[in-house]
Amino acid sequence: MSHAEQLSGMFLSRRAMIERMGGGLGSLGLLAAMPSESFAGMVAPHVPAKAKRVIHLFMNGGPFQGDLFDPKPMLQKFAGQRPAEADLRTERKTAGLLPSPFRFRQYGESGVPVSELLPLTAGCIDDICVLRSTYTDNPNHGPALLMMNNGTILPTRPSMGSWMSYGLGTENQDLPAYIVLCPGKPVRFSILWTSAFLPGSHQGTYINHREIAAEKLIPFLRNMSTSRTQQADQVALMGELNRLQLQRSGPDGQLEGRLQAMETAFRMQFTATEAFDLQQETRTTRENYGEGHFANGCLLARRLSERGVRFVQVYYGDGQPWDTHSNHHDAVRNLCKDIDRPVAALLTDLRERGLLDETLVLWGGEFGRTPTSENGNGRDHNHYGFTTWMAGGGIRGGMTYGETDDFGFRAVQDRVHIHDLHATILHQLGLNHEQLTFRYAGRDFRLTDVAGRVIQEILS
Amino acid sequence: MHVVFQFDAVLWVPADFFVRRTVFNGNQMILALPFRMLLTILFLNSGGLWPGDLWLNNAVCGAEQTESLEYFERQVRPLLNAHCQECHSSTTGQDNGALILDTVAGIATGGTRGRLVHPEDVDRSLLLRAVRYADTDLQMPPKGKLADADLEILEKWVRDGAVLPEYKEAPRPATHAIDFRKGREFWSFQPLRSVDVPSADTEWCTSVVDNFILHQMKQNGLYPSPEADAATLLRRLSFDVTGLPPSVDELNAFLSNAAWEQAVDRLLSSPQMGERWARIWLDLARYTDFTPEWQSPTDRGWIYRDWVVKSINDNVPYDQFVKLQLAADLLPDTAPEDLAALGFLGLSPTYWKELRLAPSVIEQIVADEWDERIDAVSRTFLGLTVSCARCHDHKFDPVSTEDYYALAGVFASTQLDERPLLPAPEAQKVRDARARVQTLEAELKVLKEKKSEDAQRVEQEIAGIRANTPGFDTPFAHVLREASIYVKADGDELTKLEYEEARPRDLPVFRRGNPANAGDIVARRFLTVFQQDAPAVFQDGSGRRELAEAMLNQSGGLLARVIVNRIWEQHFGSGLVRTPSDFGLQGDRPTHPDLLEYLSYQLVEHGWDLRWLHRTILLSAAYRQSSAWREDGFAADPDNRLLWRMNRRRLDIEMWRDATLAVTGQLDLRPGGPSRPIDDPENVRRTLYVTVAREELHPVLRMHDFPEASAHSPRREPTTTPLQQLFVLNSAWMEKQAAALSNRIRELENDHSRIEMCYLLMFSRSPSQQEYDLAQKFLNQTTAGEPHAGAPAVAGDPAVESVSDQSAASTAARDVRWKLYLQSLLGLNEFHFVD
Repeated sequence: MSHAEQLSGMFLSRRAMIERMGGGLGSLGLLAAMPSESFAGMVAPHVPAKAKRVIHLFMNGGPFQGDLFDPKPMLQKFAGQRPAEADLRTERKTAGLLPSPFRFRQYGESGVPVSELLPLTAGCIDDICVLRSTYTDNPNHGPALLMMNNGTILPTRPSMGSWMSYGLGTENQDLPAYIVLCPGKPVRFSILWTSAFLPGSHQGTYINHREIAAEKLIPFLRNMSTSRTQQADQVALMGELNRLQLQRSGPDGQLEGRLQAMETAFRMQFTATEAFDLQQETRTTRENYGEGHFANGCLLARRLSERGVRFVQVYYGDGQPWDTHSNHHDAVRNLCKDIDRPVAALLTDLRERGLLDETLVLWGGEFGRTPTSENGNGRDHNHYGFTTWMAGGGIRGGMTYGETDDFGFRAVQDRVHIHDLHATILHQLGLNHEQLTFRYAGRDFRLTDVAGRVIQEILS
Repeated sequence: MHVVFQFDAVLWVPADFFVRRTVFNGNQMILALPFRMLLTILFLNSGGLWPGDLWLNNAVCGAEQTESLEYFERQVRPLLNAHCQECHSSTTGQDNGALILDTVAGIATGGTRGRLVHPEDVDRSLLLRAVRYADTDLQMPPKGKLADADLEILEKWVRDGAVLPEYKEAPRPATHAIDFRKGREFWSFQPLRSVDVPSADTEWCTSVVDNFILHQMKQNGLYPSPEADAATLLRRLSFDVTGLPPSVDELNAFLSNAAWEQAVDRLLSSPQMGERWARIWLDLARYTDFTPEWQSPTDRGWIYRDWVVKSINDNVPYDQFVKLQLAADLLPDTAPEDLAALGFLGLSPTYWKELRLAPSVIEQIVADEWDERIDAVSRTFLGLTVSCARCHDHKFDPVSTEDYYALAGVFASTQLDERPLLPAPEAQKVRDARARVQTLEAELKVLKEKKSEDAQRVEQEIAGIRANTPGFDTPFAHVLREASIYVKADGDELTKLEYEEARPRDLPVFRRGNPANAGDIVARRFLTVFQQDAPAVFQDGSGRRELAEAMLNQSGGLLARVIVNRIWEQHFGSGLVRTPSDFGLQGDRPTHPDLLEYLSYQLVEHGWDLRWLHRTILLSAAYRQSSAWREDGFAADPDNRLLWRMNRRRLDIEMWRDATLAVTGQLDLRPGGPSRPIDDPENVRRTLYVTVAREELHPVLRMHDFPEASAHSPRREPTTTPLQQLFVLNSAWMEKQAAALSNRIRELENDHSRIEMCYLLMFSRSPSQQEYDLAQKFLNQTTAGEPHAGAPAVAGDPAVESVSDQSAASTAARDVRWKLYLQSLLGLNEFHFVD
């Protein structure tokens, strides 16, 4: 323990300590050692953690389950018709059933069927648990994005990443605990990674990785006019002057905390820059991931996860590229071409580096799409039933869970609400979703509101 | 002792009776026992635990009935108890579809979805549909489907007629009803009372505040810290009242006369006071400069912001301040400019309503908006979390769902609006003229595209309207209008919103917060707990005026305590109650209850004069204590709840940025008007005037703990992060400030006087010898790669003090070092904290 740490350990009140931690529970051991006083949200992990971190591959816009992981031969039989079961109201008016033209095959030892659109991802199917019966509450992008990311349709609640950061803290003081990568801006933007009423340090750090230059990724990371040695002089001077003040004022956790944060910031300029430097990857690795924003996002996700970033979200693209209201079949071919190689490379890479067991990968959109047609060749939003999948982090691979109806419209068996998905992810991280709470405005808030069930059936 | 008989299912029967079983009608069971005997069995076996009356229905009684009854008690009831009671008991059921499964009455009645069983059509029975998971929207128990054997038990029971013991039609259990009488006894809900001022050591006490503080310190074996030195005091007072550091002149004047009261009064009457204190109110009011794109976006939030500044500078009495913000439009004789006060609600968050979705979805979103308004109003003014009563009675405080929907009705009858702040007739003329011009401009566009000659005529007409309508360009402020909102189906596919002018709307209780699950209609009125008699129903329009008056008249004590605490919190860095927006049961209790009571009572006695309150606090000796750490104080009271010293406080982003601009000589003190972005390099106005966008908070604001503008924020939560320090180290803004300061002090005589001036400007004190030496060392250092570094006169000679004989190149090098030095000073803890 450094002198500084001893000092703060001795003289910080519990409240000051929490403030210094950015209100997080990152340093549970330290906090637990302090005199007990009620601190809302302060919960020790309840279950042994299987996963240390999460990567969320977010297909913003909403892919159609029936093209990719949930084959529905009955669509052929009833093509163009609108049987009673498929007569569900979505955002827009849809017509008769529109079969998926894409063929499925069984892959891996498990024999889970995957579409011809994702041949490389299919090669990893034995690591993947396909959740065919996911559903959400609202067929409108905004509310559905909020439900997937914040566990509520209200734009006033913390995002799941900030809950994770709050619950687990960070593994790497030089990097944010929660990083959002998007080559552009998703619809609803920053509200999707807000910390809302949780302390601001748990906010997701949004990075537009269209251009991968570290100084553009983290605000004010690089100084263009001051050299590193000049800055080292500055940091040394501030350190000396701040310590003089500390001597005069007597012990003070806030002053000490800010002093240390300055030194961390100085180091962070170099560690963070290194983390975002894809040039450091071998040519083989770069080739495995392929080219494009999503490939870069996946590779960055691995680099950041490796360095202890708790939650990395990779948005597929700017706006909502998977929102295929027209020309669905052509669009989905291209979209899948973009994601297949990077997704497979990420899973393989994580496995080869021994990281897959402790890294939970989540794939999916904010909802799915209708098996019925819109505009003749498009598909509308479908919140009744869609596919998401998880891999690694203690999730059983090579299985499907839940079923949609004969047309893939509505989840009918072993239904998985987004709350259940969140509960399960938190569980894998060692957090009980009912006890990860924060007292605000007179009550305890949770990511899962008053719902959520850990899907025990898919845990390995 | 019991014996188990195996039949279709397990039967528990007391062994001291002979029981004979036969099969009858397929699989129905008959116990061939005399009726009265069986009854005795049931009673004996019940252990008195069965609720409800066990007298069987005489009309249908018989052996068959009896057997079914026993089946219910032996099989069905234990099953319901084991799997359903957690959510559907007498204590929990009201919140869960009003379904209560631990009483016979509850099972017989069913819940809000209706009866549980349809013996005539077994499969339609709600109970069976739920447990079979047949309906995707209703699957019980939610934690997982029952075992098949259990399902069979329930199915059989329903098939056999769902026989239940007789029960008395009893009112719903009252376990949940709020005891308002008891609720009123809670400290914060009581009327204000006059308290005696404790006698105390008069030498230390300079304000009545001190008697209370000292009294409690003494009770805990503590004593006050000595008075801080004059410079520290003036710096503290200046930041605290105006959000700005004292100028060097102000400092020198104070150091020579030490006239504290004079300094307090000078600062309290400064126009900068309103700018500092308005921001504290705007946090509560979730102020935004912009409204979202899906409305017609506006950037006119500033009209409300400027009204708040002016009200504080004019020392508008707090009761008036409250009333205007809730109901300026409904009060007699409101000056047009005071309609700006309605921005508190007029700038409320709105949520996107996709009208292609079903009405039930949109109703929920509309209800979310009411909820946000209830939350903002109740937490801001009352320090109460009324929103907690949206789905069920408040779990801790005496606020019922009826209370909640009585208030929600007020907001359902109030719509956001915009208008110019002119007297009503002129305002209407401007509105009409603007509407007409808008139509004409659309016409004009078409005409111009067609290259029609009529275009000129339309242009002239527009010009005419503009010229002949006084106040045509008056900006429209965010206000309110009296109209109720209804969500209706628009054909089969769409939803529409309908507004009815001046027809207030009472809402039903939405059970479990679900608009589709409506209960009894509740008249619009104020919270029950504050009314001794039956709550008075609002009669005047939406009821906003009556709400404001009820808040002041019926819960005036709470209102006073809440605002006194907020102001105290700003002066001392922490409140007497540390949950400034929760004065309920879950909130903190006051550290100094009598002091809070005294100040609140006196505030009302002084006609809600907030300036009086500020002054009373600032003239205290408690406020003038040193912030220095003391071992004995820390050991006894580490959080300084008893105020044995002043709290050291971090400057918030507003004070820190304003102070930086003030120190570097750039601060533009022009008040009011539209905002400008924080990253606009030309923006050197006070941070109050920096753009706050609800949709996307600027990263620089966010990283410095500025609150989201989407919801009421009770207090800033200071965090310390490396990202903030990256801003200090690397932002162009900081470099610019260092350069500006360097220019400001350039003309001073020598390094010594320059350093001296920096310390006076930033820290209101002179540097120590050690600090001066460190500065010299830094300025004389050279670093490889530094532009123009290595000038012979400086290199290797750190002792050089004068720059007069250096070459031009070395002057440039010194210039660089100076900027680096000043940037470092601006980044020091001492500049970011107030002692």
